[in-house]
Amino acid sequence: MPKQKNKPIDPVVIVMLGVVFVAIAVAMIAFQPNSNSITIAADAGTMSQLLVAFVTGITTGGLSCLAVQGGLLASSLAHQIEQDYVEHAAKNKKVKTTPRSNSALPIALFLLAKLAAYTLLGALLGWLGSYLTLSPFTRAFLMIAIGIFMIGNALRMFNVHPIFRYFSIEPPKFITRYIRRTAKGTDTATPIFLGLLTVFIPCGVTQAMMATALGTGSIAMGAALMFAFTLGTSPVFFIIAYLTTELGSRLEKFFMRFVAVLVLILGFVTLDGGLNLMGSPLSLQNLTRNLFPSERIASAQADSSQPSADGAITLQVQNSGYFPTTLKAPAGKDFTLNLVTNQTYSCARDFVIPALNYYELLPDTGSVQVNIPAQKAGSTLFFTCSMGMYTGQIVFE
Amino acid sequence: MLKKTFKIPDMTCSNCAMKLESLEDSLDGVKEINASYHRLEMVIEYDETKLNEDQIVAAVRKKGYQAEVI
Repeated sequence: MPKQKNKPIDPVVIVMLGVVFVAIAVAMIAFQPNSNSITIAADAGTMSQLLVAFVTGITTGGLSCLAVQGGLLASSLAHQIEQDYVEHAAKNKKVKTTPRSNSALPIALFLLAKLAAYTLLGALLGWLGSYLTLSPFTRAFLMIAIGIFMIGNALRMFNVHPIFRYFSIEPPKFITRYIRRTAKGTDTATPIFLGLLTVFIPCGVTQAMMATALGTGSIAMGAALMFAFTLGTSPVFFIIAYLTTELGSRLEKFFMRFVAVLVLILGFVTLDGGLNLMGSPLSLQNLTRNLFPSERIASAQADSSQPSADGAITLQVQNSGYFPTTLKAPAGKDFTLNLVTNQTYSCARDFVIPALNYYELLPDTGSVQVNIPAQKAGSTLFFTCSMGMYTGQIVFE
Repeated sequence: MLKKTFKIPDMTCSNCAMKLESLEDSLDGVKEINASYHRLEMVIEYDETKLNEDQIVAAVRKKGYQAEVI
């Protein structure tokens, strides 16, 4: 006789609802940068940075983390769940049991522990960052390295060439052995402990976020950034880890293909961001802007601010980027670039001119003047936001 | 004790190496297993009085991989 006639609410539903509510709450907070409560708590630039971290987590971090940590740790959990299931099934041979009620809780505990561990790691990185400054060039170098790492990993997943297998970081044997043997326990402390251990095997996107946390130079901001990012990764991680443990390795292989495509795209995006931040004309944005001028660019050039009487050229720094994207300036003489912000809360505020080694966090509303030294005719100065997302150029003629 | 190396051509990530190493705990007679995704191989040290090649290959197959001794 089956014991449970009244089936309890599946923990997966509760956990999923919890995660979704928290995710929605964070997104709602982040999407209201003008609200008074937020300006008291933190400035809107901070909120937009947290939003970017959260969105990065929910869109890419979860999948990327899963590629590195999921296979290792979720399968350890799966092993545990499988053992539970086998033992349970053996005890209740006539009862058709389902492992579903067992798998959600360990994964949720694992993710909560991971969230706590990465928040602490963010605080630590922020504290460390307060002792060193990451220049835009260093960040560009980091982004390029991370981009190459991600592309290499994607090519590894596609099995393009054996050499790409070396892009997969194999954790030291003593760690994997320890994790594996710990994972054999069946108490709730095990997934928590495994979640804490994930800090030792961060994925490429997580490493990028860790570098960003380091760059904040603040304990609170570093912790908040890693919290937002890890929270973002949780729903994807949860869903896929859950499905994988429930539906087996066939599904895992399918998802890994999907992850490979995403990681490849993200790798190129990260690499391109790094090239932008380095001021390289070879970045996709800079290449396409010059090779295939779109209508938007053409109109931007038409609207391009002409030097005023005092020789200043104005650049509008908006939430969606820089306008116009192409400025024209006279060659051979200094001029003033007037950067105007008006309720600008995106990363466009973090204005960088790589070739001049100029970096400034602009006020959300106001103007900042930059002296641009004389440049040769025909030369181009590229500018970008600190994430390499929004770009533009000054053409000297 | 015998030490043998097996080629495991269908490993896809470092997790596969960990899965194979878990045979350490379940296969009687195994002293140590070191599996490498980078080299697509598994080095196993085992007691030949308790275990033989065929049993190892069968255990690996049960984990979802093909194995052949090098």
